[in-house]
Amino acid sequence: MGLKRNVSLGTGLKYQGGGPMLVFVLHRIGGLGMAIFVTIHLLASFMSARGIEGGAFLNSIYENWAFQVFIFFCALFHAINGLRITILDLWPRLIPYQREAIWIEWAVFLPIYAIAVFIIVRAGLGG
Amino acid sequence: MLVTLKIFRYNPEVDKTFHYETYKLEALETDRVLDLLEMVKGHTDGTLSFRRSCAHGVCGSDALRINGRNHLACKTLVRDVGAKITVEPLLGLKVIKDLIVDMQPFFDNYKKVLPWFVNDSPLPADGKERLQSPEQRAIFDETTKCILCAACTTSCPSFWGGEAYLGPAALVTAHRFIFDSRDEAADKRMHVITETDGIARCHTVFNCTMACPREIEITKAIGELKMAMITGKV
Repeated sequence: MGLKRNVSLGTGLKYQGGGPMLVFVLHRIGGLGMAIFVTIHLLASFMSARGIEGGAFLNSIYENWAFQVFIFFCALFHAINGLRITILDLWPRLIPYQREAIWIEWAVFLPIYAIAVFIIVRAGLGG
Repeated sequence: MLVTLKIFRYNPEVDKTFHYETYKLEALETDRVLDLLEMVKGHTDGTLSFRRSCAHGVCGSDALRINGRNHLACKTLVRDVGAKITVEPLLGLKVIKDLIVDMQPFFDNYKKVLPWFVNDSPLPADGKERLQSPEQRAIFDETTKCILCAACTTSCPSFWGGEAYLGPAALVTAHRFIFDSRDEAADKRMHVITETDGIARCHTVFNCTMACPREIEITKAIGELKMAMITGKV
């Protein structure tokens, strides 16, 4: 007897892991976002090439500026966070400074992302 | 101060699923969460079940999720977590009753890394100790501090995903023996931790390091194991 061990997504997300847990979750969202983008892109190309109806609609999804803001977040965050993890994995002596590494990551990510969002949104709104 | 203590409750003989019960207690800021649980069990509801033994942060029996994060109840003061406290069992292990979880999968993983000293070589000529320099000892000194409370392993998203993953505690133990200059089973342990459910499933989330009540740099130890795996140098 006893409750099952399964940890639901909601329960896991509620764990108070702080900054490191947040970047872990965002890294997963980033990976998932890129997988969705690639899938839509491949599907749209396939359907357009075969003349199947709906290809243009799929194209319009990832060409939308709002989706581009999302996918740029996914790609950029995943890349920068992946770089942080790779550096820490290759130089374990730096691991005690992991909190500082996360702050540096945000310091690199936020300005680049802010500029990109500005450009995408301005272009999207026809500015 | 008045403390509101919300506790995860589950009695397999009565309940189909868990629920929470809330208790109002008068407590000091310097009281420990374990003291509050003892107050509830001693004065309000004797059926409340939880593990405790030494109550001084040494045995590791009372690892619990307190306000959403793993802590030892005996090392967590009311002033550290505030007047509204939620106490839940560790994640990723089957709940037996209330705050008690089934630790068997955790210890099964622990055993896989051969958590004992292996040295079949003859004793030194003087028949006494196998000596080790302070520098050799310093390499694994930190990982000898593990008390097997499971706070690290049950804070790890990879372990939540499947209990087959060895988990941080077992990897810390592997580190403790692999880098011990007197031990001779490093190859066997490296073989175990480089399996599918071994070290590769560590995604460097750092929950384990933050949950460890002994302040072991667990992710650093796992990082050193990863480097040993890549370079083949111990």
